[in-house]
Amino acid sequence: MNAIEVNHLKRTFRAKIGVFRPKIKEIFAVEDITFDIQNGELFGLLGPNGAGKTTTVKMLTTLLIPTAGSARVLGSDVVADAQEVRKHIGFIFGGERGLYWRLSAIDNLRYFASLYGVEPEVTKKRIPYLLELVGLKDRGNERVEGYSRGMKQRLHVARTLLHDPEVLFLDEPTIGLDPVGARDFRQVIRDLRDAKKTILLTTHYMFEADALCNRIGVINKGRLVALDSPANLKKFVSDLNIIEIESFGIAQEKIDQLRKLNFIGSLSIQDQDQKQILLIQTERGAEAVPEVMSVIGDQRVGKVIVREPTLEDAYVRLVEG
Amino acid sequence: MNYSNIIKYWRVVLTVAELTLRHQMNDSFILFTILVQPILVAVLALFMLKDAAANAAMFVVVGSGLTGLWSSLLFISGNSINVERFQGTLESLIGVPTPFDVIVFGKNFANVLQSLLSMTIAYLLTAFIFKFDLSLQQPLLFFLSLIIAVFAFISFGLTIAPIFVMYREVQHWQNAMEYPVYILSGFLFPILLLPGWTTPISYALPPYWAAVALHGTSTGGAELNSVLFAWAMMIGLGMIDLLIASRLFKVMLYKTRVDATLDVQ
Repeated sequence: MNAIEVNHLKRTFRAKIGVFRPKIKEIFAVEDITFDIQNGELFGLLGPNGAGKTTTVKMLTTLLIPTAGSARVLGSDVVADAQEVRKHIGFIFGGERGLYWRLSAIDNLRYFASLYGVEPEVTKKRIPYLLELVGLKDRGNERVEGYSRGMKQRLHVARTLLHDPEVLFLDEPTIGLDPVGARDFRQVIRDLRDAKKTILLTTHYMFEADALCNRIGVINKGRLVALDSPANLKKFVSDLNIIEIESFGIAQEKIDQLRKLNFIGSLSIQDQDQKQILLIQTERGAEAVPEVMSVIGDQRVGKVIVREPTLEDAYVRLVEG
Repeated sequence: MNYSNIIKYWRVVLTVAELTLRHQMNDSFILFTILVQPILVAVLALFMLKDAAANAAMFVVVGSGLTGLWSSLLFISGNSINVERFQGTLESLIGVPTPFDVIVFGKNFANVLQSLLSMTIAYLLTAFIFKFDLSLQQPLLFFLSLIIAVFAFISFGLTIAPIFVMYREVQHWQNAMEYPVYILSGFLFPILLLPGWTTPISYALPPYWAAVALHGTSTGGAELNSVLFAWAMMIGLGMIDLLIASRLFKVMLYKTRVDATLDVQ
């Protein structure tokens, strides 16, 4: 049985433009998305900023009403049976908001346990258990305002698990966490997957999706452009090699010239402090390096590596075309 | 609504009220609204009435307490949903199975209980600083009136919050709505001093009937019939407010989910 069924879901937003005689512009956030998530599956939804990931999650968690299409969670419609859906789901939106900072962690959990209809005797046992699970056992009586970002994120996890939901929506849950915090958080997600929870995870981190997800949907400009297992998505770029070039302040005109080379599938740039990493996808592999370097010319470069493609490269090809 | 739901929701109301009180304990704006402002009103009125009889001082105690109640209702309960929206907790509250109006009822319950402190502070100020000999003339009827007034104020507050969320232009008039209700409800002087055409407006306001019952039973001389009539009006208007609020909450929840305004970053 499918835990989540999404059928031709659409969502538009209206933006007002201009002060005098303002015009209404309709913006498509999600355009006709269809997918299913099976019971106990960990499904990843990947896409660039503004692709429609959060909008999709908010429609599935009953917080936004779709413009068209339908979605069901555990058989209940997210619009018509919103109250029923809410009993069975938990959600986390990345970031620090969504908690009462002037209350302690224990009081925050008591508050939400009550709102989720958890019986008082169950709440008494579950709060210490969850605080231990997320590593906040010794800080439970402190006000949340004194917590680090990672601690707030972990408290969000505890809040989400209070009513032991069957379906979890985790929208960029590791964003802003330090590497150790993010690693611990991924372990929590693994444990939830092992406990047979159905999870929809959105993330920008490809290695995270690769390591955790059974299947991945790639969303771009409001449309689902790919849907498969991480291994099969990687096959999508099996014909390519990746040339990684470390550069220091490369000129835009050089990048434009590189993009015009007919053997380059796509070129993306990752900024890392003072340097930029050029990621060039090409079918020619190492043979393409001399021609690429001749275009770069006297610009300062560091390491040049030719490697096999990863899930991230498949993602780049899907998103950038 | 069945019996088990009533028990479940009442438990939610009590937990929400307790944690709302704890959360607001350190908020200086709230402390000003429920403690400092009513003291200023009471001091002003007591200086005006310093040669008056003790029952006039009791009128001031109850009246300044009611100003605290109304200000708390208008500013704290009125803004309660918008505050959740701006601190990023509104989505978490909408996403739970408990109906949102039950949660806001609990928050308003906390605000009204908290603002009863205004009356206590005004009483202590009048008795110990201004040395008036204060006594409640009809204590049983007074406390029953207070309980019914709490219900009427909570229900009235429930109609205000969704309006402020849906119509931001109405919220711009929030400050201007404070004093007219003090005056139209007869908190500090009888509405008989006002022009006749304002009387129907006073009658439509639950705070007016709260003032009638509380002033009448605290200063004495109120006939039982008039107190009972004020109670009936508070209960009747409170029920009407609950029905209006229930509809307003449905519209507001639908509109905010269509307009995507549950969260404002």
